[in-house]
Amino acid sequence: MFSSRVSVRLRAAVAVGAVTALAAAGCSSSTSSKSSAKGNAPINIGLITALTGSNQALGPDHLNGFQLYLDTHNDMLGGHKVSLKVGDEANGGAAAVPVAKKMIEQDHVLAIAGIVATPTIQAVVPIATAAGVPVVNTGGRPTVKDVSHLWTMSFMSTDPGASMGPYMAQNVPGSVYAFGPDYQGGYDQLRGFTDAYTKAGGKLANDGGKATFTPFPNTTDFTPFLSKVKASGAKAIYCFYTGQNAIDFVKDWSQSDAKDIPLYAAGFITEGGALKAEGQAANGIITTMNYSPDISSAANRQFVSAWSQKYNGEAPPATAMYSWDAASVLDQAIAKAGPNPTPDAVNSAIKAMGQIDSPRGTWQLSADTHVPVQKWYLRKVEMDGTALANVKIGDLATIGS
Amino acid sequence: MGAINTHFVPALDGVAYGLLLFVAAAGLTLLFGIGGVLNIAHGTLFALGGYLAASVSDGSWSSAFLGLAVATVGGTLCGGLLAAGTLPLADRGHLPQALLTFGLSLVGADVLTTVYGTDEHPVVIPKSVNGTVQIFGHVYPTYRLMFIVVASVLALVGTYVLGRTRAGALLRAAADDREMVGAMGYAPWRVHAALCGAAGALAGLAGGLGAPIIGPGPDTADKVLMLSMVVIVLGRPGSVLGAFGAAIAVGEIETLGVSISSNWAPYLLFGLMAVALVVRTFRGSSAVGAGAAAGAHA
Repeated sequence: MFSSRVSVRLRAAVAVGAVTALAAAGCSSSTSSKSSAKGNAPINIGLITALTGSNQALGPDHLNGFQLYLDTHNDMLGGHKVSLKVGDEANGGAAAVPVAKKMIEQDHVLAIAGIVATPTIQAVVPIATAAGVPVVNTGGRPTVKDVSHLWTMSFMSTDPGASMGPYMAQNVPGSVYAFGPDYQGGYDQLRGFTDAYTKAGGKLANDGGKATFTPFPNTTDFTPFLSKVKASGAKAIYCFYTGQNAIDFVKDWSQSDAKDIPLYAAGFITEGGALKAEGQAANGIITTMNYSPDISSAANRQFVSAWSQKYNGEAPPATAMYSWDAASVLDQAIAKAGPNPTPDAVNSAIKAMGQIDSPRGTWQLSADTHVPVQKWYLRKVEMDGTALANVKIGDLATIGS
Repeated sequence: MGAINTHFVPALDGVAYGLLLFVAAAGLTLLFGIGGVLNIAHGTLFALGGYLAASVSDGSWSSAFLGLAVATVGGTLCGGLLAAGTLPLADRGHLPQALLTFGLSLVGADVLTTVYGTDEHPVVIPKSVNGTVQIFGHVYPTYRLMFIVVASVLALVGTYVLGRTRAGALLRAAADDREMVGAMGYAPWRVHAALCGAAGALAGLAGGLGAPIIGPGPDTADKVLMLSMVVIVLGRPGSVLGAFGAAIAVGEIETLGVSISSNWAPYLLFGLMAVALVVRTFRGSSAVGAGAAAGAHA
């Protein structure tokens, strides 16, 4: 398992090295390929992700999902051979500006995919929009003024909570204690939950009836926060945590006074590496997610089997699926953009796209926010064969506007 | 009684967390306070210990002890490396050393993520301590209870070695007067190497012991370095008793303080640290006094 991670990193490093080498060789090759305007000329696609820095645990999945689509489609999108230009957004934000500028000005990319951190979106989208290049975003989605060239494959931060709120109001026999990390993404996630939950008649068990926000990123011990849950009389917990926070929260919950109070959460708490690190402590957690690897459809079976073949039989994380969808959306849009596709034509084609057949089920982009209108699934952590997995146990609402 | 009942688990947990901080900071305070080496790579040594312990752990007691041994040896070896690097800088003050160890910590962090990847690593601890126990009607993790005992023993042994043995006396003497120790027939570089090795061993051991609580991952090194710095600044560098008091105070602030006033949770630690430093500046009080002042506010 470790060796596969190493090879992922190596692959990423090699990809970055290759991009650097191309850049060093000068832009002559890219301009000449652009001028040779024949039938199915090769095209350049940019992919920005976190290969170093604080999000480096998340970055490779964004690259690998996209690369897997190319691997299984002869390295072609819309009938054109693709040269993928990979760039590193590092810690996000301003660091990604020169990366995006190089992609647009030197590589003349048709579109930019990926992007993990929300500050990177805020830095890159205005530049891409000014140049008319569509951004097909697979990571977090902040509020952006001009979304004319921004297309999000993941979800709006308030969506997971909004899908779980009404379900818990109906099915939990009593009040719910809500937790989240103390930063903007945490506020959005929890607001999505508390708004939908209280609207459906639910009542929070927290002090003062408001969700509790734990200091981020410095909280390593959640025991003192959890000690209040049992005394509050809550019948369930809802939380949003990712990464190290998710692992610590789950471990502390499973060994606290609150261990018999069911834990509900946004799906990231048990995605990929987090579930492995949590181990048996995560058994029984109920989550909401817009994807589950055991969805029964032809599109999902194709994706899951390709992923597990390449990565030692592992189940694909949702992030890799967003990236796979980014490639799939570009594939269809470029095909519609004619024999000599331009960024503008690709952007218009994405705008005109209807239902998208995806491993997560069919979904479509909201005409207003450019975020998926999609179904959310109820999942439970259970033993699936020899390992713990997120098993789909039901459908939640379709969310998006 | 109701209030005591609500805050019992956080108060107990504060002791466990404080002892974890003490064990984590012990190597740093030894090296900085006595050896005069400001080791920014301390957190990286802790993380290394955690990764090493995690990689051999399989849930058996023998693997748990092997993990601690491997973590300690790994920490000692890296401490030796540190000794070789910092020795030429011994007379140049803290800044060049900090720069060197900062560089080493960056290299070390990259080596660790290259070898172990960017995921958090689970440490599989023996089943008999992996569960929970009932204390006065509350559920508490068995491992943390055991950790309180082990860390207390470690603190006692450390205090004894430093204060009552010949080796400890030699280290303290080297801090006061290197040349005199040299004149007594102990080469300063050997004392320096022993100190770095011991500090590395402590950091590695702490990483191995603490891994089930602060799991080894890409953020571990920075987190441990920051908390250790807080502990040694509050407890005064080199003072074992001061570090102990400060660690317990910080532990209680982060647990009992949070449980009493969770709205203030983000500001408690650094707010009270600021108060303690200001009070100390005006009063010029002892380290133990500063620790007690912080504890009283919690």
